[in-house]
Amino acid sequence: MLSVRAKESIKTALAMTIAYGIALSMGWDKPMWAGFAVAFVSLSTSGQSLNKAALRMVGTLLAIVVSLTLIAWFVQDRWLFIVFLSAWVALCTYLMSGARYQYLWHVASFATVIICFDAGADPVNAFNTAMLRAQETGLGILVYGLISVLLWPSNSRHEFEASVSKLASVQHKLYRAYHDLMLNKSDAAAVQALRAEAVQAQTGFNRLLPAAQTDSYEVWELRRQWRHYQGLVSEVGKVLEHWRESFDELQALDLHALLPNLKDFDAEMERRFAQIERMLANQAPESEPVPVEFELDGAGLDELSHFHKAALTVTRSRAHRLEELTRSLFDCVSDIKCFSRPDAMAEYPSDKKNGFVPDPERILGAFRVVLILWIAWLMTIYVEGIPGGYLLIMVATPIGMAMSTMPQVSVLKLFVPALSGVLFAALLYIFVMPQLSSFLGLGVMIFLATFAVCYLNATPRRELGRAFGLAMFVVVIGVSNEQGYSFIAVANAAMILPLVFTIILLTAYIPWSPLPERVFLRLLARFFKSSEYLISTLGQDSQQPLTAWQRWRKRFHAREVAILPGMLGAWGKMIDPKVFPDTDTQQVQALVINLQALSYRISGLIEARQRPQSEFLVQELTQDMRNWRLAIQSLFQDWSEHTTVESESALEQRLSNKLSELETRISETFEQSGADRLKEEDYRNFYRLLGGFRGVSEAMVGYARLMNTMNTNEWRESRFG
Amino acid sequence: MDYVPSELSIGGVYLPPLLVASLFGAVLAWLTVMLLNRYRLSRWFAYPPVVFIALAIIYTGLIGTFFIPV
Repeated sequence: MLSVRAKESIKTALAMTIAYGIALSMGWDKPMWAGFAVAFVSLSTSGQSLNKAALRMVGTLLAIVVSLTLIAWFVQDRWLFIVFLSAWVALCTYLMSGARYQYLWHVASFATVIICFDAGADPVNAFNTAMLRAQETGLGILVYGLISVLLWPSNSRHEFEASVSKLASVQHKLYRAYHDLMLNKSDAAAVQALRAEAVQAQTGFNRLLPAAQTDSYEVWELRRQWRHYQGLVSEVGKVLEHWRESFDELQALDLHALLPNLKDFDAEMERRFAQIERMLANQAPESEPVPVEFELDGAGLDELSHFHKAALTVTRSRAHRLEELTRSLFDCVSDIKCFSRPDAMAEYPSDKKNGFVPDPERILGAFRVVLILWIAWLMTIYVEGIPGGYLLIMVATPIGMAMSTMPQVSVLKLFVPALSGVLFAALLYIFVMPQLSSFLGLGVMIFLATFAVCYLNATPRRELGRAFGLAMFVVVIGVSNEQGYSFIAVANAAMILPLVFTIILLTAYIPWSPLPERVFLRLLARFFKSSEYLISTLGQDSQQPLTAWQRWRKRFHAREVAILPGMLGAWGKMIDPKVFPDTDTQQVQALVINLQALSYRISGLIEARQRPQSEFLVQELTQDMRNWRLAIQSLFQDWSEHTTVESESALEQRLSNKLSELETRISETFEQSGADRLKEEDYRNFYRLLGGFRGVSEAMVGYARLMNTMNTNEWRESRFG
Repeated sequence: MDYVPSELSIGGVYLPPLLVASLFGAVLAWLTVMLLNRYRLSRWFAYPPVVFIALAIIYTGLIGTFFIPV
């Protein structure tokens, strides 16, 4: 019985051999393009492969249109030609780091570079070159598509359904863990593993949904419902995280007394999550969702401080949102599994509504790729006898683009698989290929070599080895109907790699250092700059409409604050504790978790500020809130400029003084207002705002505490990468 | 007059002397920066990547002058 790894390797090897066989029998030039298509579209399931194949084909067609246009317009002027080509490459690099169609933009960019430099020097045959590229890419895709469908077909549906069940089960466990955490029944450290599992399950689901839509009619038929489900589970994940962030302030309270129906609420949530899992296992639900309120006990509430009331109000609003979302999730799943039709479903924020917001890191990536293209181009023009000629540009650009999507990976880590690929292919080219006299021998060699590369690099960790192994194999053996052998061709191919990696290594330092600790500090400064801006917007009158520029800036900074903790987490893992013995990995990760909490709390505060506030409270408490806001703003500004922070005890003291001062002021204001002046909603909105301010301040104290345990000054010291 | 540039033959493959000298130059520069990192001397340089390139050029020049004529 063959393993999955062996089966997948056989499929790729067979497709590669057949693609070469057809291209050679048709007398097509450069059959390696068909080989490339097979090498890069082969994935573990038919759906994933077919989706990637479609993106490769569309990307190639787009590249043909763009490259022929560029050649037609600028064939007489190489500078204008390279300027417009750079603009296209920059645009594609920016788009390929986005959420959708990454592979399409990658192919559209590097295929344009390949066609432009292959055909640009011979414009009369440009159309033929472009068409050849398209038909050979189509051939590779068609052959692999047929083989993946006919030979050991592997449908994504079962894997997709398993990922759906896994995600539902992890979210259920996460809800349970957070509920226990709120009641001080579990340890925050124990929840960490579950959170990581939830992120992994969501990523797996997101990856498999498009694949299952392609190779399973059942999933395709319900694609709208599944996309809605995707939006809902993602929102449930976010709400659970926001909910958890309000627990610190609650842990001193007797929640069972203050929230009389906490048990009912918990029982209903448990029931809903369990029923959702049951329906996903194709069993009819045993009960329907029952509306449940997260009520507060009025009498108990009166005895609490205003800040505790605020914390409870924030928690209640999160719980309401969770209740609303789980009800919609239940309806959505019952619709998908044909147990009932849904009623009105909860809305979740869609990214599409937010408009275009530029991402500085993606712009930086695009800039570096253009720099790589220009350096390779100038070297090709001005350095006589440069190895490979235009091939240098054709190799440097796609590798540079791939590096821009994984900036954390060291350039040197890619060099070893690339060089191994060249050496492996060179051995075959020099010692085996000259002994072959027919396609039978060549086909067997292609099959065995492809199988070996795929089989030995089957794990996701060795994905780069597979990609470089197959790419270098296809380039170096340079199969054609009039096969020639030249040692210089192999030597040139081998010489291109050090040149390409040197260019990439040099450009990685422009304009900023790629060392993880330096990137971490740079992103940290950006996080606090954006936080400062967002906090400053709290001073704007919420009744006054914002100008288009103000709206755009606010969206930009809100996005920065939302995504930067994730990026800091990724870079933080790369900081080598051996180089910086005073700071260990756990400290860095604790700091990242704290920044994530700060990010959630800032967004909660902004959201609370948008709610209407009572005119009377605004008049009475504006000055106090303004002072508090300015204090936060000033600290954020300080932290964005340097990493040395005030001691946490001083900050804690300041915060505690501020809280007691405000406690008195609020009590006085409420006494002045009388019973009928403020409505229930006024209290609720005010407490949400107050809770937001306190939450942000507490997270800031936590940040100061963590930063004081770390020695980030040594991160600022120069060192060789 | 003793230093006449000539290609180096490795198993019948002729390599330009500048290539070999620059290869050794880069390796020596890499060893030097590792030592500078090890003893925290790198902090005295304003921009280490340029220092690495400068060291590689210096070593290549020295090797090209004294060991492998380029």
